[in-house]
Amino acid sequence: MSNVALKNSPNDARSAFAKTLDALSNPLLAILLAFVLGAVIIAITSGNISTVPVAYIGLIEGAFFKTRGLSESLVATIPYVLASLAVALGFKAGLFNIGVEGQFYIGSLTAAAVGAAFHDLPALIHLPLVLIAAALGGAVWGAIPGILKAKTGAHEVINTIMMNYIAYRLTEFLVSNVLRDKASSAVQTIRISPNAELWNMATVPARLTDPLNAIFIALLLAITTFFFARWLVLRTRVAARFQTAAQKRAFTTALTFMVALAAFFFLPLLTQTVWPWTDPYDRLHIGLFLAPAAAVSVAWLLNKTTIGFELRTVGANPSAAQYAGINIGKNIVLAMALSGALAGLAGAIEVLGVSICRCLPLFFSAGYGFDSIAIALLARADAIGILPSSFLFGALRNGADLMELRSGVSKHVISLIQALVLLFVAAPAIVRYLTRQKTKADAVADVPLTRGWGR
Amino acid sequence: MTFALQAHGITKKFPGVLANDQVNFDLARGEIHGLLGENGAGKTTLMNILYGLYQPDAGEILLDSHATQITSPHDAIQQGIGMVHQHFMLVPPLTVIENIILGQESLRGATKFLGRLAVLDRARAAARIRELSHQYGLEVDPDARVQDLPVGAQQRVEIVKALYRDAKILILDEPTAVLTPQEADDLFKIMRGMIEQGRSLIFITHKLREMFAVTDRVSVMRGGKMVGTTTPQHATSEMLAEMMVGRKVILQIEKSPAHPNATVLQVENLQVEDERHAQMVDDVSFFVRAGEILGIAGVQGNGQRELVEALTGLRPVGAGKIFVLAHDVTHKKPRQVIEYGVAHVPEDRHKHGLVLTFPVADNLVLCTYYQSPFARGIEIDAAQVAREASKLVGEFDIRTPSTRTNVGSLSGGNQQKVIVARELDRPVKLLIVNQPTRGLDVGSIEFIHRRIVEARDRGTAVLLVSAELDEILSLADRIAVMYKGRLLETLDAKIATREQLGLLMAGVKEGAHV
Repeated sequence: MSNVALKNSPNDARSAFAKTLDALSNPLLAILLAFVLGAVIIAITSGNISTVPVAYIGLIEGAFFKTRGLSESLVATIPYVLASLAVALGFKAGLFNIGVEGQFYIGSLTAAAVGAAFHDLPALIHLPLVLIAAALGGAVWGAIPGILKAKTGAHEVINTIMMNYIAYRLTEFLVSNVLRDKASSAVQTIRISPNAELWNMATVPARLTDPLNAIFIALLLAITTFFFARWLVLRTRVAARFQTAAQKRAFTTALTFMVALAAFFFLPLLTQTVWPWTDPYDRLHIGLFLAPAAAVSVAWLLNKTTIGFELRTVGANPSAAQYAGINIGKNIVLAMALSGALAGLAGAIEVLGVSICRCLPLFFSAGYGFDSIAIALLARADAIGILPSSFLFGALRNGADLMELRSGVSKHVISLIQALVLLFVAAPAIVRYLTRQKTKADAVADVPLTRGWGR
Repeated sequence: MTFALQAHGITKKFPGVLANDQVNFDLARGEIHGLLGENGAGKTTLMNILYGLYQPDAGEILLDSHATQITSPHDAIQQGIGMVHQHFMLVPPLTVIENIILGQESLRGATKFLGRLAVLDRARAAARIRELSHQYGLEVDPDARVQDLPVGAQQRVEIVKALYRDAKILILDEPTAVLTPQEADDLFKIMRGMIEQGRSLIFITHKLREMFAVTDRVSVMRGGKMVGTTTPQHATSEMLAEMMVGRKVILQIEKSPAHPNATVLQVENLQVEDERHAQMVDDVSFFVRAGEILGIAGVQGNGQRELVEALTGLRPVGAGKIFVLAHDVTHKKPRQVIEYGVAHVPEDRHKHGLVLTFPVADNLVLCTYYQSPFARGIEIDAAQVAREASKLVGEFDIRTPSTRTNVGSLSGGNQQKVIVARELDRPVKLLIVNQPTRGLDVGSIEFIHRRIVEARDRGTAVLLVSAELDEILSLADRIAVMYKGRLLETLDAKIATREQLGLLMAGVKEGAHV
């Protein structure tokens, strides 16, 4: 009998690193290839090779270096992150949620309605309330196709697409009738309460002078610290420094309280003196912290909890899930609801943090929901991988304008490059062929991103 | 000896695997050449090369002593090589004639006048099919629809199809897997008949007994290499098994007499339908006691799968009652059944038993991930899972690079060990195993059989469903035979004979004594 100590073998540690590198090499090569091919297309369509550097330099400058370039890239990245997490969560459960766009609309709609419904609630209550409402709205919108699939086997692709159209028209109807701001000449909803806004970065120091807002931020930081400390004492080497569970608990509690108190007393002062965001035209908002928090939460939910285990099992092999006693229908509905909730949050961000009018205008067209499918694929449905993927797409979306201005190359070339990235990611064989990579021996497909029709 | 086919130094590499390494194989004219080997030994690769599905990286193939290349299955047929696959290549809604002429039609490529030509072919084909069936004793009704035929008859259609194409060399890939022992004996007669007509056969099987029953020579492959060739006269089962595995193997499991205790599983008048609402389990009643193994023998497709799925909550029960230790589990969900102490090694390990894209560790806790100590609240304790996985990997000798390796990249035997380890590690009252060793190598079979007997000796009630009569005979304490959804007879394993069971498996009830 070979009773080898398998855990923590050096071989294992090395392969973890190698695996990460392996997982990254394909998307990176795909991106590179897409830009090379994009260059060829720019050169051909403009009939001039020298357009290529002009275009790409414009793109990079627009995305990162022009005034507020980086900020605007991040502004576009934030909803991308949430919407892509929605798609990825669906993928993990074996569901192709094309309804992210519709759920995004419902989230925007709910956020606009709830944000404008109250005027005197402190941010401490109002902002979480709006976000929860938007998540719930998206969740309901996602759960409907989920229930249809669980009960009747109706395919989610068809039903989420149809739910999209219902969402568009419902939004139009409510924006132009029930929720319409009669005082405005434009067809749009009533402006939301400032307390429901996702704070613009430039306004943070001013807002923190209100003690209620300071408590709000201190609470958020405390919650984050709590989970961080818990992770530290349970999952990292720090754990060895504690003998008992009580000690670990004491450490976690102490750290949490210290951070909360420090944040409450010193953060307002600190932001008055040092705060990098002072430009009032900068649209960057505190969703910047929400997006990675959401990614980490989704990664935790999928990989570290029984809920995620069930979702992934249903996604990877429904028959085995049934065999193991997992309720498939329940998990399909749950996955669609969670996916919809994330999409709804993305929609809320657009209203609460980005839109100039702090409202939902008619003919508001986002397109985030569809781009997010590409982003989720590029990240191979990995929640953490979605952060850089979203940033890439956000930067491309933002840099395209300056590229067009500088080189005369249509900004739609960016869509083309995005499509090429997606093509190369979806067909790793092409990348491998073009880069002469050897096929890996254990090329067992890792994630079944979607399954075919029917169940 | 004149050779119908010779293969010299065949080498075929797949990424990371040397599937065939300098393999030499020859087939004398008019012989039945048995090919033996574990899964992954390279038998299928070699046959696929001979049938033109793969091109070898090195080596040469000689037909009738002339070097040749076989570029495609079409080409193989042209050169007189036919193959009967393990999974039949038939179109169920078409008739026997249509199935048989299907390839010929496309060969002519007369698409423009296909309708008229098909009519012509049909008449001539029917005559020729009757002639062939008569000549070789392959009874088939040319006008029957394939979907209405039993499995044995479908196999005969496959053989006629190859003969119709005038195959001089016929490759039979595990043809007896779906047959009763009597049907297998009939097949052997047919094979003999084909030899007398000057054809040559390659016969692939993993049942050692059949090697002795029908072959003229036996070749054994292991790890992509040809280990050796011998004749049945010079070989023993133990010798062949050793050649296959590379070490000594215990073929007959040693077990002490059963000491049955209280009844654990009680099934009363059970009725179960399949997806198409056909009655697959029809008024079945039986019981299994603690400390005994009840074997359910029968040819595949006689309702065993539906029976097991109904018992484990995976399939709705039409009528009747199921009790596990006096709990009525008749309409309970799979998880409730599991929690009553029922473990289930499913028939199809890829479909039900494993999540192939998950690591070994996750598959080992597939049924218990939500319980302490693996879960605390909603969080999974990865360290506990890893500890459990390391323990089971050691205990059950699961050969894997690490517990985080995807289970899909393990060999079939190790995959099955993962399932058995998972199911036996719980405090189980009732163990239901369905085809536990299908497609496994001899070494793994031996290991899994021993574990099943050990579970019995610990006082677990075991229900063993298997189409392998040898497996039933060597493991079971009592044997029930399932035929067309009914349990025909329950026999004491001590007095049951292979012949008696074979007849029951074919639905013949006379001559069986309790």
